[in-house]
Amino acid sequence: MTTPRERILASIRGGLLRASLPADGDGRPGRHDDAPAAPAVREMAEQFTAALTALSGHVHRASGTESVADLIAGIARDRQAASCISWDDGPLGCAGLLAALASRGLTRVTYDVSGDPERRLLDAASLAGVGLGVTGAHAALADTGGLVLVSGPGRGRLVSVLPPVHVAVVEERRLRPSLAALLREEPDLLDAGSNVVIVAGPSRTADIEMTLTHGVHGPKHVHVILVA
Amino acid sequence: MTDAALAFHRRIDAALADVRLRQALALTTGRLAGGRTAAFAGLADSEACRDDARRARARAIARLDSSLDQFATAASARGCTIHWAETAADARQIISGIARERGIRLAVKSKSMATEEVELNEALEHAGVRVVETDLGEFVVQLGGDRPSHIITPIIHRSRQDVAALFREKLGATAEDVADIPAMTALARRVLRAEFLQAGMGISGVNLAVAETGSICIVTNEGNGRLTTTLPRVHVALLGLERLVPTAADLAAVLTVLARSATGQASSVYTNVITGPRRRSGGPGGPQAGDPDGPDELHIVILDNGRSRLLGTALSEILYCVRCGACLNACPVYRLVGGHAYGGVYPGPVGSVVMPGLHGVEAWAELAHASSLCGACRDVCPVKIDLPHLLLAVRREAAAKRLAPVWIRAAMPVYAAVATRPRLYRWAGRAAARLARVLQHDGWIRRLPGPLAAWTASRDFPAPAARSFVEEHQARKAAER
Repeated sequence: MTTPRERILASIRGGLLRASLPADGDGRPGRHDDAPAAPAVREMAEQFTAALTALSGHVHRASGTESVADLIAGIARDRQAASCISWDDGPLGCAGLLAALASRGLTRVTYDVSGDPERRLLDAASLAGVGLGVTGAHAALADTGGLVLVSGPGRGRLVSVLPPVHVAVVEERRLRPSLAALLREEPDLLDAGSNVVIVAGPSRTADIEMTLTHGVHGPKHVHVILVA
Repeated sequence: MTDAALAFHRRIDAALADVRLRQALALTTGRLAGGRTAAFAGLADSEACRDDARRARARAIARLDSSLDQFATAASARGCTIHWAETAADARQIISGIARERGIRLAVKSKSMATEEVELNEALEHAGVRVVETDLGEFVVQLGGDRPSHIITPIIHRSRQDVAALFREKLGATAEDVADIPAMTALARRVLRAEFLQAGMGISGVNLAVAETGSICIVTNEGNGRLTTTLPRVHVALLGLERLVPTAADLAAVLTVLARSATGQASSVYTNVITGPRRRSGGPGGPQAGDPDGPDELHIVILDNGRSRLLGTALSEILYCVRCGACLNACPVYRLVGGHAYGGVYPGPVGSVVMPGLHGVEAWAELAHASSLCGACRDVCPVKIDLPHLLLAVRREAAAKRLAPVWIRAAMPVYAAVATRPRLYRWAGRAAARLARVLQHDGWIRRLPGPLAAWTASRDFPAPAARSFVEEHQARKAAER
């Protein structure tokens, strides 16, 4: 008796013997192994800002926890968000930010979706009315305006996708020229969490008559606060 | 003509007669193709980028057995459950079984051509699971009991008025709910968000899988792919067994050209890479310190359904395809007739190779004739697949299996006999030109005689010039002397 796995792999081996594949499967991996020098942080910050702005995202500048908290409280006011979900203080990378937000009246809703199916559904439902999600980022990509978010303890995935507004607090030193450059630097990054997501701007669709519309399933508004 | 060919021609006639469809196709494909051109113009060295992407795919396919084995081993080591489906029926049975064993009643789906290919939704409904498509376009397709007409933008064939009428009928939407496209989009968000929060299972396809780490990558613009793979307790991903790249660097190489080719974006909004289900204890911080969300179970169903057989044919290069849809938007035939005319799950130039490749040339050979072999598809392919060459290979196989109409099979040896005898060929050419001049009107022939009339049924034939090329050439040479 053979298993489906053995049969499929055997069928592939048989196919490969007869396949009429061009020769590009041999040889070296490709140009992406040659690393160009990274540009200066200021240059990358400008490029990132231009790219994200073109995608209808917003880029802000701040230095220090208080000014970051002021910015987030302002965004919450503008978008009528009374509560938020967020990453924990450590992964946010901005010491004391959660306390600073609480003192500005922004309530943090915590969640931990447990294994129990019933509890899980209830917990998820309790997040339905939350207006704001606050995350840090592992990296920001200058060429596409993308944020690289790695899931893990204190770094929930839902924070950046469930609420209608997503604010990411990102230190400037986390800027990288491109995804290819980031993965060259950290070849094992994909394995760093169960989910590595690159977020480039607000959720969008053009399914109906090619008309661009934001906020279909994910956030309608994405704000990035670059911290010097 | 075979029944399949006749049905194909009838669908083409219907599409050509649909004026609104043709307007919508011109708008959508024109804009997507233009977006693609602009996006590649913004890349420093776009040819090298396409070469890199091609190499990334070629390296995985050249040793697909070990790539796939490596992927499955790596994914298992990170807590995934791997299933192997030899056929579409196997895939349906495996996924229905996962749902049944867990008592799941509601599943949310992000867009996946592979699940269309195996007709998963019907099977799940049979197993008592309600299935909700969450990509906006696919949601509209599902509400209307319709089929997608494009790989990337499934409702090219629907107007905003169609969608509004459908929302009013099926969702009880008010006039305000469907006042404009943003309002309709907001309504879909509300309706689908409630489904997301209730669903026990999320079902997705896979754009690319990384052999080294056992990761799967799902790209979406709407965010439904993230919700599908994060909110429900169980995530099931259906992976076509050829969608592999060796390493993370190779994934980056393909992503560089994927969204640019599909929609003209430098990057999709959400590039979602998933490596195993949610991790229960992430290290320091005690027993509570696992991932706060994400699915408890991740099942990856590896689908063959004809792919390994296709690998051993002249069509194997089509397995490099990353399903971006660029060849549809570039194809002068697709741009006129749209996706439904092709009759299969995968339309356009890629479909005309994939459908006969997966399901046999007998029922699908005719598709490969719906091409002028102009090469526009090859020029835009992000992994540089030589599509015209593959379309010819399909035609060759069909000819070898004697699938062409009798009169063509009888006529070809006659043509060959004439064409290889220069004097006879020139004489025959002059005779045909004389006949054509009788049939022509204002420089065009509206109807050719005999079985050739099939050719002029949907197009006009240009009348031949007064002098043949050879006559013209000889006349010019004489004049030069």
